[in-house]
Amino acid sequence: MNCDKEAVKLMHQHLDGDLTKEEEMQLKIHLEGCDSCQKHFHELKRSITLLKSVEQVKAPENFTKDIMQKLPTEKKQVKYMR
Amino acid sequence: MDLIIRDKIKQVKKGDQTAYEDVVMFFQDKIFQHCYRMLGNKHEAEDIAQEAFIRAYVNIHSYDENRKFSTWLYRIATNLTIDRIRKRKPDYYLDAEVKGTDGLDMYSQLATNDRLPEEEVQGMELQNQIESEILSLPPKYRSIIMLRYLEEFSLQEISDILDIPLGTVKTRIHRGREALRKKLRHV
Repeated sequence: MNCDKEAVKLMHQHLDGDLTKEEEMQLKIHLEGCDSCQKHFHELKRSITLLKSVEQVKAPENFTKDIMQKLPTEKKQVKYMR
Repeated sequence: MDLIIRDKIKQVKKGDQTAYEDVVMFFQDKIFQHCYRMLGNKHEAEDIAQEAFIRAYVNIHSYDENRKFSTWLYRIATNLTIDRIRKRKPDYYLDAEVKGTDGLDMYSQLATNDRLPEEEVQGMELQNQIESEILSLPPKYRSIIMLRYLEEFSLQEISDILDIPLGTVKTRIHRGREALRKKLRHV
């Protein structure tokens, strides 16, 4: 299997849940015998884990209240919609 | 939750403004976070997130109830963030697509690990580092990566939100993950 083209493509399809059982097997067999692809695959999965570890941010206090005050009243709405 | 939101939207369409308060309350953290991750600045994120909710309200009659409200709201928010990024002067150049590269822009041509010494803040926390690497992704990849991994939308939903074909979403998420891998592998 060509590493850069085929194996990497299979890795991404795997991450998107797009592989058939046979393709999963092909990827698995390739990874077992190829250190550089194993590293590549590990890096991909690790970067997703790191990404998911970023802190969740919350909307500022009074966010909803501020919006409710800014909503156009019936008359302004016409102007808003142009 | 979808049913409650659906109900609230119906009331809003009938002219009940207070029903919208519950809708905003329910989505405020999600939409704010999305804007913040796209823009990297809390003031701008607040500004744009507010505008997204106001636009959604003003245009509520054009919302098709057969589709998910969240998808529609995220579309408005994403478009606004991308507009804002384009309007920033120094970034405008960086965001411009390079001809013949199918969506790759100048960001992707910059060396990934070459930081200026003065930017190499000692003891920079991992969190900050990851956040800044996310922000250095080209916006068209960043939006998809965020929607997939932080908001946990399916690829089909992302295709609906961004109004681009599923195949394009897949190409971009592959490239986005590769870009992220290169940026984060030494972290």
